Amino acid sequence: MYDVIVIGGGPAGYVAAIRSAQLGLKTACVEEFIDDSGNAVFGGTCLNVGCIPSKALLDSSHRYYEASGHLNTHGINIEKVELDLSAMMDRKNGIVKKLTGGIGGLFAANKVTPISGRGKVVAGNNVEITKEDGSSEVVNAKNIIIATGSSPIEISAAEFNNNIVDSTGALEFTEVPKTLGVIGAGVIGLELGSVWARLGSKVTVVEAMDDFLFMADKEIAKDSLKEFKKQGLDIKLGSRLTSSKNLKKSVKISYESSSGTEEMEFDKLVVAVGRKPNIENVFSEDSGVHLDDRGFISVDNHCQTNASNVWAIGDVVRGPMLAHKGSEEGIMVAERIAGKHAEMNYDLVPSVIYTHPEIAWVGKNEEELNAENIEYKVGKFPFAASGRALAVDQSTGFVKLISDATTDTILGVHVFGPSAAEIVQQALISMEFGASSEDLGLTIFSHPTVSEALHEAALAVNNEAIHIGNKRK
Amino acid sequence: MAIEIKSPTFPESIADGTVANWVKKEGESVGQDEVIAEIETDKVVLEVVAPSNGFVSKILKNEGDIVNSAEIIGEFSESDSDSKSEIVEEKKDEVIDKAPLTAKAPSKSSANKNGPAANKLISENNLDVESIKASGKDNRVTKADVVNHLIKDQGASSSESSTKPLSNRPEKRVSMTRLRSTIAKRLVNVQQETAMLTTFNEVDMMPIKELRSKYGQEFEKQHGVKLGFMGFFVIAAVQALKKSPIVNASIDGNDVVYHGYQDIGVAVSTERGLVVPVIKDADTKSLPELEKSILEYSEKARDGKLSIDEMQGGTFTISNGGVFGSLLSTPILNAPQTAILGMHTIQERPVAINGEVVIRPMMYLAMSYDHRLLDGKEAVRFLVSIKEQLESPERLLLNL
Repeated sequence: MYDVIVIGGGPAGYVAAIRSAQLGLKTACVEEFIDDSGNAVFGGTCLNVGCIPSKALLDSSHRYYEASGHLNTHGINIEKVELDLSAMMDRKNGIVKKLTGGIGGLFAANKVTPISGRGKVVAGNNVEITKEDGSSEVVNAKNIIIATGSSPIEISAAEFNNNIVDSTGALEFTEVPKTLGVIGAGVIGLELGSVWARLGSKVTVVEAMDDFLFMADKEIAKDSLKEFKKQGLDIKLGSRLTSSKNLKKSVKISYESSSGTEEMEFDKLVVAVGRKPNIENVFSEDSGVHLDDRGFISVDNHCQTNASNVWAIGDVVRGPMLAHKGSEEGIMVAERIAGKHAEMNYDLVPSVIYTHPEIAWVGKNEEELNAENIEYKVGKFPFAASGRALAVDQSTGFVKLISDATTDTILGVHVFGPSAAEIVQQALISMEFGASSEDLGLTIFSHPTVSEALHEAALAVNNEAIHIGNKRK
Repeated sequence: MAIEIKSPTFPESIADGTVANWVKKEGESVGQDEVIAEIETDKVVLEVVAPSNGFVSKILKNEGDIVNSAEIIGEFSESDSDSKSEIVEEKKDEVIDKAPLTAKAPSKSSANKNGPAANKLISENNLDVESIKASGKDNRVTKADVVNHLIKDQGASSSESSTKPLSNRPEKRVSMTRLRSTIAKRLVNVQQETAMLTTFNEVDMMPIKELRSKYGQEFEKQHGVKLGFMGFFVIAAVQALKKSPIVNASIDGNDVVYHGYQDIGVAVSTERGLVVPVIKDADTKSLPELEKSILEYSEKARDGKLSIDEMQGGTFTISNGGVFGSLLSTPILNAPQTAILGMHTIQERPVAINGEVVIRPMMYLAMSYDHRLLDGKEAVRFLVSIKEQLESPERLLLNL
């Protein structure tokens, strides 16, 4: 009998499994995704078809883009640049293989038992494991952690086929589509749109909402929209896809906007309108596990489901569908199973969009603070005033730091620009310790770094920025 | 090996407690059975003692934190190697301790570094870091903590000049102790939820005084306890309660609960506040037994050794404002009881007895009662009965 069985080996599940085993709990991790030889492949969406492969392609495509006539200002002229897409894909696949194989090694080192098959929670704290050959066994566990993740949402107006693909398919095109349509201007749509635009596709992004990046800081949304359009992404806001027609080698779509119904034709269409939790056939009705009103597995603040000793983490429960959120939930649950008092700080889950430049933020934005009637101060510093950003030719964007008007406690940090994710991470660490903007202001930053923009933004909150004019008091 | 330090298992009547004081700081060595922390509850302060020689290795609940029954509040490391995985038990005696008003937070300044802005502000305002409530990770003081401390210190609203004192008239804010805030809440509740009023009378204490001077020495010799006034009052109250069972009753929802016993609470003032130990089954006790209980309780109350059991229940309360010299006051009911008797100072006054003015040691009596249950007639009768018994102590003997 196991102390812990984790269902799902993605970034939430495999982390929960490793941490459980570290804490001395007898742990197994069940994964249904298998390789050609029938062994479970861990890593989930993130490693296999999400974060990691998309970042590999974002980097490769960015290098190609720069090499294709965008290094002239650096005095580098390249005559003939050739794209070897299959080599690019091989590199990506190699990274994925290395990382997923690495999890197998981590499991072995930590004595986590890998089980290939599909796990389902059934009554009495049991997990029914169905193998690929259809055989099944029931394994008892003191604790069960559901970490089955999420899948791309398919919409009836554009059902998947050879030309209409989800985010996974968009990482595996064998040739660069001349024209690419992307439904949904969210994180995934923008990242994938960026990849193919850099590799030469004419990309159109169709977004139903009127607001671009509604969840981000308004200024960043506005500036980044301008920047992405400059990069060649044709972003059509307030445009609702109504139907699509799959032609032999292309897709024709109809969408409605304020100017009426319009039609467009693309070689390929990526549907990236969001993801849904994988809850089908994950638990039996008598297991005691319930869904919440949004269709996620219902859990409390500590990721405990309605069934005692059954936990759920990651994309399958409420909160942002982010690998790092799932991983931390995995750690928290493992520690709580082991009797420790771990807590998740849901207020400080960072968000990142890996476009170029990156967009990242943590904490609250101005709209949220206004809605909550919290008085705040804002400090902003543009990368155009950062020596390092200019030197590396990445001076688009800015750092915005928001802190409490009275206590100066940092409430939110929003960055559009080079290494935005890393800059936000620095601020996040300080926020975890209750830092004020003055705390960051009184901290030494290396020169020259793009991080100095965070320093200056923190100083600007209290009108003390050195390298830019301050607001008049 | 680390041993869990748990808060004591609270009796059912206590929902939670507050960490009043870590007597031992992290890393400070401590001998077996030495007090390492104090948990303040609504009623008493409970002590947590060391299970063996060793030291407090980790404090998980800081002073002021609310803790539940048997919740882990820290970790303990034994100094010798034969470590048994045992759990720190609370000391059996539950005690009231002196209020640790100047609660110190553990190692705010030394082990954990505060942020630079917090330190700057602390230094600029010449603050004692120990006096600032820390909210940061591992008990670090954040800038917000200092700003809030300064705002609170002034009792002023947040403004640009919030770091400057507004005037040179000092004010000190101290959060109420658990006991004080419980008292405060209960008193207000009683005022709001009962129909309380007070009836007065006076009693000629001469007969009792004479009895005391005549038999006091012999009584003390025989029973080892002084013959006081309180015993007589308790007996008089018990007899009066027997005659008027409604005074001994209490309201529970829509029901009236008549208690078939007389448990008399005797209010005792301590440094922490007023506590009311209860003499259980006072009707079965003789005068010497009553005097002994009263003495024992007041000593325990003074030393903070009263247990929760000893303070629970009670069907009637006697409060003696006379010890502080009060001539007349209106006591507040001890809910859910229906009445409370207030004793006062004995004062020689001219009174008319049998048509002649004489000087007598007089005491005003006040009885507050819940008019919802008790009509004026019954209340007045009850008080008159007590008066009559005390003025003719032979009635006490004759059950009159």
